[in-house]
Amino acid sequence: MRQWMLVAGGFFLSVAATALISSNPSVSRRPDRGSSYRGASLTAMPSAFRTGRLVPLTNASSVTRWAPVLRTSVARRAPSFRSARAGTVPARTPEHTTNLVVADGEVVRHGLVWVHVPLAVLPNGTEGWLPRTSLGAWSFIETHLVIDRARLTATLFRAGRAIFHAPVAIGASGTPTPAGTFYIRDRLKGFADPFYGPLAFGTNARSPTLTEWPAGGFIGIHGTDQPSLIPGRVSHGCIRMTNTAITRLGELMPVGTPVTIR
Amino acid sequence: MTMEDFHPDSLGLRDFDVDGAVRETFEQCQQETRAGFLRLAAGAGAAAMIAIGARPAVALANAPSPHDTAILNFALALEYLQAAFYTEADRIGALHGALAHQAHVVGMHERDHVKIFKSLLGTAAIKEPQFNFRGVTGNPSAFRSTAVAFEDLAVAAYKEQAPLIRSRSILAGAIAIHSVEARHAAWIRRLAGFLPAAKPFDDPLPDARVVDIVNSTHFVTLRKPHTTSQTAPPFTG
Repeated sequence: MRQWMLVAGGFFLSVAATALISSNPSVSRRPDRGSSYRGASLTAMPSAFRTGRLVPLTNASSVTRWAPVLRTSVARRAPSFRSARAGTVPARTPEHTTNLVVADGEVVRHGLVWVHVPLAVLPNGTEGWLPRTSLGAWSFIETHLVIDRARLTATLFRAGRAIFHAPVAIGASGTPTPAGTFYIRDRLKGFADPFYGPLAFGTNARSPTLTEWPAGGFIGIHGTDQPSLIPGRVSHGCIRMTNTAITRLGELMPVGTPVTIR
Repeated sequence: MTMEDFHPDSLGLRDFDVDGAVRETFEQCQQETRAGFLRLAAGAGAAAMIAIGARPAVALANAPSPHDTAILNFALALEYLQAAFYTEADRIGALHGALAHQAHVVGMHERDHVKIFKSLLGTAAIKEPQFNFRGVTGNPSAFRSTAVAFEDLAVAAYKEQAPLIRSRSILAGAIAIHSVEARHAAWIRRLAGFLPAAKPFDDPLPDARVVDIVNSTHFVTLRKPHTTSQTAPPFTG
């Protein structure tokens, strides 16, 4: 009996839905990626739902994805467990935060997804492959920080548009700030060390000269208690900016943001 | 590829199951839904009305009852899952051809569904959890199987819930979404090599069974990464 009721009910709903749904199609048959799409009117019956314009994703070229490292893993030079080690990717950073990696590609090998990631090892720019299973959920961001060592400036872009600009101090000649593409791993605040200002961002970049520095000689982006040295080439490799600027940057720049130092 | 019958029960979603966080999330969803009941019952309808739209008279007429709020939140949870799934696949870009096109278009639909449910529920809407699709969105074969499962699941879930909706205006919207989910299901089934319409009549799926199936995926994660610390910076300075 219940089955007959379901059948009858399903038939009624199908007929009703067919009659009610607008004949105006919501999308063209083969729309181009990135083209605009119209939302459809829902039904002829008064609906509580208000439709809008369908929104395709923004240009993927400005999007970066990152994921937390779930467990300490070995990165390989090729997407295979038999490949040589490219480096170890710990689950925690030296700052006691969850380590994370950004990814720029993946492949499927024997049913297993491998992710291509930059590593936090010397020499800077070393890359490797991690099994996707060693990572957590992807997060997607549209910011990108560019450090210009010639002009001594930092510029933050969001979806390709500059939203922040500030003068910076970079490494002195004996302790240079390394060039390359890196990313923000974490943010430190609430610590009691005025040398670093009110906020510091950790990156996966490492000093090529201060290799014996505690915790590995990682390059940070932080405030300062000596604003008169900005702009300049005075640091041990870190990127310093005024406390006002780093505070503003802290409001705009999420972890995972790629950092290009040129 | 040979067309064949294909049912959600045979999809093997448990193959993606790793840590069992989905049930916890759906339980949280149900708790938050109950909290939504209380808020609405306590007269917070005004807040929901503000969230729904600019026209108070229309909003008041469309404000969901506590009963319908629970159903809408259940649907919202499924839409969150689907929207995140297609959006991630679209962003990663590992899909190609017809499959990439399907993910691109269906992703737009699912995000629109989320937007509509959230605007309708206002402050009573459950929050979006974080999803970890564990490589499925970067693997065309796994993506295709999972998309078939999700779409068949959504169709069956809507079919179960729609007759329970008391508001005619919400029912009208739900029917409109239900038929689109059925089109999504037919589309991806065709791409996966299965009959788009395997049976003359579809069965509804009780919410408990829906939760069980989603739970088996373990795609929902409650653990957010700890990326901020008060540790003194160890950087070179």
